[in-house]
Amino acid sequence: MNDDYLWDKTGEPDPQVQELEEILGTLRYQRKPLQIPNELRVPQRRNYFPWLAIAAGVLLAILAGGIWLSTRSRGDAPQRQAEVLSPAPVKEVTPSVPKTPERKNESPEEMVAVHKHRPRSSTPVLSKQEHEEALMAKEQVMLALRLTTEKLSLVHKKTQNAYPANQIKNQHRVG
Amino acid sequence: MYATADMLLTSPAPAAPEQSHETAIEVVLVKAVLEGDRDGFTRLYDLYAPLVHGILLARVPRAEVDDLVQDIFLHAYKKLHTLRESSSFGPWIAMIARNRAVDFHRRKHETVEINDELRGSNTQDSRATEILELIRNLPEAYRETLVLRLVEGMTGPEIAGRTGLTAASVRVNLHRGMKLLREQLGFMEGL
Repeated sequence: MNDDYLWDKTGEPDPQVQELEEILGTLRYQRKPLQIPNELRVPQRRNYFPWLAIAAGVLLAILAGGIWLSTRSRGDAPQRQAEVLSPAPVKEVTPSVPKTPERKNESPEEMVAVHKHRPRSSTPVLSKQEHEEALMAKEQVMLALRLTTEKLSLVHKKTQNAYPANQIKNQHRVG
Repeated sequence: MYATADMLLTSPAPAAPEQSHETAIEVVLVKAVLEGDRDGFTRLYDLYAPLVHGILLARVPRAEVDDLVQDIFLHAYKKLHTLRESSSFGPWIAMIARNRAVDFHRRKHETVEINDELRGSNTQDSRATEILELIRNLPEAYRETLVLRLVEGMTGPEIAGRTGLTAASVRVNLHRGMKLLREQLGFMEGL
């Protein structure tokens, strides 16, 4: 016997199924109006994604800015130092090895200049090749940031679209 | 002769064409309710109350079902904002109903005796209650599907669409559940 009738009520009717439908139909749901209390309100959906995306974007921008500034200051440090120290004809100031005893003979202006623009002891002086490498690294970071931004906006667009119908697959058991 | 489970699995019936339409309706209704439209929820209630009723009828005493249906829909109304996918309203409320039935038994309500009043005055109602008890004694996987089909009058594709089960699973559950029910009812002589 085909069970099409049991499945979707098509095909040859199964008399036993029909009899069961008739008997059990007396227990079928009888519509009763739903009473929703007036004070009951549906809270709005909270979509945290845009805020998270914005926060992540700001964080990345700050990080990128920090990296960029750090790279720039490293690159500029020797040039600035050279500019400042050029009026001093004899003195040769190497930032990594400060010559403290010689400074006793410096004029006050020179001393101010040296102290103002002395690079931090932890900042190493970059050679030309290192400077170029740093610039390349900066470019890579900027590129990565741009990619991240694009991906974030793509994810955002996807989450804004309608979700596909949910199907619980391969589930024979209920509950 | 019945079709085997393998045959059923390899030749699932095509999904009902109205099913995707119904899903689209529920997406619109859920959105409307979240924007404050109470009537939208009444329409969702009308669409899904038979499903919830059937799920409960397969698990809890008949006398408790109507109150629980109301409770479940009020709970769903309060928690609707937690539903991530509007198209999954059916599977979502079906799960709430199943959990509520489990809670009902966990709280150890006193068993409701099936007396003549609850069985109904006429013979057919009494017979219906007896058959329902037989269905409730079947394995869990078959109970719900059989009640939705035989009591609530849903078709297999409708059951699949509203509960989120696959059509193949529903078909197998219907087939195997019906076979067991026939055995219980002593309908085997015709096979």
